[in-house]
Amino acid sequence: MRVVVADDSVLLREGVVRLLEESGFEVVAQAGDADDLLRKVNAHRPDVAVVDIRMPPNNTDDGLRAALEIRGTQPDTGVLVLSQYVEEGYALELVGDAAGGVGYLLKDRVADVERFVDSVRRVAEGGSALDPEVVAQLVGRARRDDPLDELTPREREVLALMAEGRSNHAIAEQLVVTERAVEKHVTSIFGKLGLAPAPADHRRVLAVLTFLRA
Amino acid sequence: MGGIAVAIIASSDHLTDPELIAVVALLVGWGFIGVGLLAWGSRPDNRIGPLMAATGFAFLLSTAGASDLPLVFTLGQLFGSLFLATAVHMLLAAPSGRLQTPGDRRLVGLAYLIAVVLIVPLLLVADPRDDFGCTECPENLLLVTNNDTALTVIGLVINASAVVLVVGVLVSLVRRWRRAAAPERRLWAGVYAAGVVLMGALVIGFALTSAVGVDKDSTALDVVWGLAMLPLAAVPYLFLFSFVRARMIQRGAMGELIARIRDAPRPGELRDAIAEALGDPTVELAYWLPEDRRWVDGKGRMVRLPAEGSGRAATRVERDGQCVAAIVYDSARGAQAREHVDAVGAAAALGIQNERLDAELRAKVQELRDSRRRMLSVGLEERRRLERDLHDGAQQRLVSMALNLRLARARLRTDPDGADGLLVGAGEELDAALEELRELARGIHPALLTDRGLDTALETLVHRAPLPVELRGAPGERLPEAVELAAYFVVSEALTNVVKYAAASHAVVDVMRENGRLVVEVTDDGVGGADPERGTGLRGLADRLAVLEGRLEVHSERDHGTTVRARIPCE
Repeated sequence: MRVVVADDSVLLREGVVRLLEESGFEVVAQAGDADDLLRKVNAHRPDVAVVDIRMPPNNTDDGLRAALEIRGTQPDTGVLVLSQYVEEGYALELVGDAAGGVGYLLKDRVADVERFVDSVRRVAEGGSALDPEVVAQLVGRARRDDPLDELTPREREVLALMAEGRSNHAIAEQLVVTERAVEKHVTSIFGKLGLAPAPADHRRVLAVLTFLRA
Repeated sequence: MGGIAVAIIASSDHLTDPELIAVVALLVGWGFIGVGLLAWGSRPDNRIGPLMAATGFAFLLSTAGASDLPLVFTLGQLFGSLFLATAVHMLLAAPSGRLQTPGDRRLVGLAYLIAVVLIVPLLLVADPRDDFGCTECPENLLLVTNNDTALTVIGLVINASAVVLVVGVLVSLVRRWRRAAAPERRLWAGVYAAGVVLMGALVIGFALTSAVGVDKDSTALDVVWGLAMLPLAAVPYLFLFSFVRARMIQRGAMGELIARIRDAPRPGELRDAIAEALGDPTVELAYWLPEDRRWVDGKGRMVRLPAEGSGRAATRVERDGQCVAAIVYDSARGAQAREHVDAVGAAAALGIQNERLDAELRAKVQELRDSRRRMLSVGLEERRRLERDLHDGAQQRLVSMALNLRLARARLRTDPDGADGLLVGAGEELDAALEELRELARGIHPALLTDRGLDTALETLVHRAPLPVELRGAPGERLPEAVELAAYFVVSEALTNVVKYAAASHAVVDVMRENGRLVVEVTDDGVGGADPERGTGLRGLADRLAVLEGRLEVHSERDHGTTVRARIPCE
């Protein structure tokens, strides 16, 4: 899989590059700012771009803006944004109305190599990867007459993992249950929240996120 | 009575200049009585009037001493010095008519003691024809025995008491003069001066009497006593002058006041002008600051209006239907004073309005100075807290992680399982340290606010609150960074308080643009009763806002929820 890595911190960028290369990715280019990133993504057409949110020239959310542009112009390239802070607003903005080929993770997550690499792969393959913290914030929002109160604790866990973009298989593995059990939970959740049944892919993530952000 | 006095004096055989003395007696006696009655009539509540009239009558009574009839002569001798006692009483009671200090009351008591009581034993043993060298005088009817020794002793006692009295009165007058405010001084200068001169003349008189001896005729002595009469004679007329002047000032007060105000008085002069116009040196002005809903003095310091029954009263001064100030005055001055205050207040409203602006400015400067000081200490406190958090949190974790890594390295060969456990621990410490650093950084400055502005940042705040919060309005555009930050912290702090104290079921955040201001409002339906003076949170917010010329309002009635509203200038 071909990757472009963008981060103005050389130390971190090199670290991510080494980590991805060791995990079998081909890092085709590195970028130090948002403009550089857009140029290189345009030139290399990678499967995925791993982008730091805070980058020159403005050092605000330039990385996010670049990511949105990539998603708009090159839908075949997945974008995984790394952020210093949990900003669920950014995550939702990034996802927009299509949860395919997109990810938003706390920067710290790179330290958990296995899961990080899994997330990059998922995004590159057109899936989604939302940080558990972001999902926790969304699920934890105070609502009047919260429909989430209807869910059992286990169903809430499943809901959160779905929102992260995990497949039924991954959820089953994480919760140490069968895939069949996960499917049952999913059906129950969709029923309780009044959502139309969705296939087990990124459209399911979007349905859950749409519900959570309302 | 004046006629009788003149008749007695004119027919006297033992007086040297009956015509001159008659004129002086009338001048003094009638003067006191006339002015006294006038004063009594115009201010019945003031005891100066009756005291002055009494002095006049007592003075005329003393002329009975000029009679050739023994009974009248004796009575004249007996009450001959009563007028001096009432004069002392009057001097010490001026201008209010009340004796102010216990010392003054003792002095007046001493004066009456000498004039009424001590004179009796003197007359029991003194024969004027023999002892006072008055050969033409009629018989002293009270004379029991002409005892020279007793006379000397009683004379000494009286003289000593008189000296104490005179010195006491002098001291009291001087002390009172030094305490008096400028308008009071101007008004009563003549009376004070006359009192001092009278006392001085009495001192010299006593001195000469003891030097020459009571039974000798002395021209010098006659001159001194004659001179002593001059200030005494002047006293009623000086009083009259002061009364009339006080009247004139009060009547012409508004004209004069307006004239003085037109001359653009220096700060504080307006108060003096009002004090003089009202004849109340204790007058104070309190200016109303409608935005802060509090009173301040001319220097911008906070003041409270006097409470009922405190001896002070306050009358509000309005201009264009808006309260601008209050005149605080001595409420003992009665209903008439209140009318005067109203009139003077109305006349001075424009000038007061100007001084109010001045006071408001001073209050603002003072407020800024205070808030700057608090900001400084808040800043220092925040730095200390950051240092503590860093030291106790992330730093400790990193140290512990470093230790674990070294231990793991040492065990890598000999005890791979142990090393693995240590590395897992180090990884956990690292995660926790990162988490803490992230939270710390967010608290210092929310990056989202800089990136996306108030709308997005408020959305996040509202969503993260652990209770349902409705975001009604948002600016919809980027604002100056300082304004955004202040508004953000208002909402953040207010929501934190709602969660901590309000026991509310939900809250509403509203942000509006209004007349060049950004109005940020956080309302909850909780228990209310929040006090911005207590606790550093709201106080700190107010200080943050003060820097931007913004202000914070907190409405928090018990059981009626809390509304925190910030107004931040923002063109």
